[in-house]
Amino acid sequence: MRESEDLFRTAMQSSPIGMALRGLDGRWLAVNQALADIVGYSEQELQALGVADISHPDDLAVDMAYAQELLAGTRGPYSREKRYVHRDGHTVWILLSVTLVRGEHGEARFFIAQMNDISARKHAEEELARRQEELARSNAELEQFAYVASHDLQEPLRMVASYTQLLARKYEGQLDERADRWIGYAVDGAYRMQALINDLLSLSRVGTHGREPELIDSSQALARALGSLTSAITESGARITSDPLPVVRADAGQLEQLFQNLVGNAIKFRRPDVPAEVRVSARRRSTEGRDEWIFSIADNGIGLDASYAEQVFTLFQRLHTREEYPGTGIGLAICRKIVERHGGRIWVESTPGVGATFNFTLPANE
Amino acid sequence: MTSQYPAAVPVMPHLSPVEILLVEDNPGDAELTREALAESKVLIKLHEVRDGEAAMVFLRRGPGYADAPRPDLILLDLNLPRKDGRAVLKEIKEDPALRRIPVVVLTSSQAEQDIARAYDLNANCYVTKPVNLEQFLTIVRSIEQFWLTVVKLPRDAG
Repeated sequence: MRESEDLFRTAMQSSPIGMALRGLDGRWLAVNQALADIVGYSEQELQALGVADISHPDDLAVDMAYAQELLAGTRGPYSREKRYVHRDGHTVWILLSVTLVRGEHGEARFFIAQMNDISARKHAEEELARRQEELARSNAELEQFAYVASHDLQEPLRMVASYTQLLARKYEGQLDERADRWIGYAVDGAYRMQALINDLLSLSRVGTHGREPELIDSSQALARALGSLTSAITESGARITSDPLPVVRADAGQLEQLFQNLVGNAIKFRRPDVPAEVRVSARRRSTEGRDEWIFSIADNGIGLDASYAEQVFTLFQRLHTREEYPGTGIGLAICRKIVERHGGRIWVESTPGVGATFNFTLPANE
Repeated sequence: MTSQYPAAVPVMPHLSPVEILLVEDNPGDAELTREALAESKVLIKLHEVRDGEAAMVFLRRGPGYADAPRPDLILLDLNLPRKDGRAVLKEIKEDPALRRIPVVVLTSSQAEQDIARAYDLNANCYVTKPVNLEQFLTIVRSIEQFWLTVVKLPRDAG
């Protein structure tokens, strides 16, 4: 008997989990160091206190109720999350497990309680919740901005463009060449502004309208993208070929957008008098810690200098004038945002005058 | 205000002019629409109001609009002062005396939520005003062609 008592006492004393034996009157019969540490008292100090002294006032009522139910036999041993108040005043979240020990004749003798300090987990949960709220708020703001952009900014634009054009019409023939040119600049400015606004909207939608990635056939995404490029392909006589493409986990709409931008660029930036030849392929690479598909879109176009390889992915950065090649310079920025949203990377390899290959990765963890 | 556009050669057997109500707060936009309709072959009488409340008073022949005709077509901008275009749309389409009148929402907004909402409120169609003037003129002409010559409009006792 003595031996098992000693064993129990040792176990309790050295346990890393807070433990206490509590009498039916609410006072501690025994406490261990781990529990004392949780609330910042010494064992002696703690012994002199009761549950009510170290519990958060809001959590006491439930404690009392549960204790009553344990005594009445209407509740079995339970666990619940509650708060203690540390000696220096701050709150400590614990996971409390309580059992009622009964004697030979079923009479209640004392409670055994164990306490796990779960403050760290609680803080992490609160932080996560806060961050999610922050993200939701930020997305809502972006949506509102996008609405304003697609709505309120359009009307003044139309006034500028429409009336300049009306002026041109009304005074056709009465104005000199310079006036025509100036009107052209003004109107062109308004059109470009509208294109820029729409592009910014597209970029913002990658984040706000993105859908959860799911398993899709990437060759179908490519097929749809090529469908949208039909007129560009036939007008320029471009030839597009594709290797078999894999099933990947991605947002179907965004993958289609990605292909459309990259193949569209390959067609647009072709060498004069050389029909564009574009080859789409994919290979799998499994190295330690990383399993991914590498997609490549290779063309025989004008290519670009290695020193610009980073810059091309920057918003509105262009390497040519608008007269040489049309466009606002947002296509590759959108591509990068889509790829990064999927956890991948995008880069370009190129020889000026020969061609360029745009590559992007998608994680292969199906 | 009211403008009248005599037809060079009336193409359709409209014995009386087609009454169009334009609800538009921006005078620049109103004038553009007026210009576009001026080239119409159909005899059109264009009525203009500058806000949503005036639109409802016009439609109900309230004070100041006792002799207002019932429009055959309403061109409605969405963002209006006093009573917003969406509220006007809702009121028209919920009123048995007014809901037969085709309402073309003609507005700057390309926002999807605006388009969806307009159709939810039973707009007959939604048209976005383009930046390009020629396109705008073409669009107004097609609206007029479609709604006034292709489409059958209901006869109304009122």
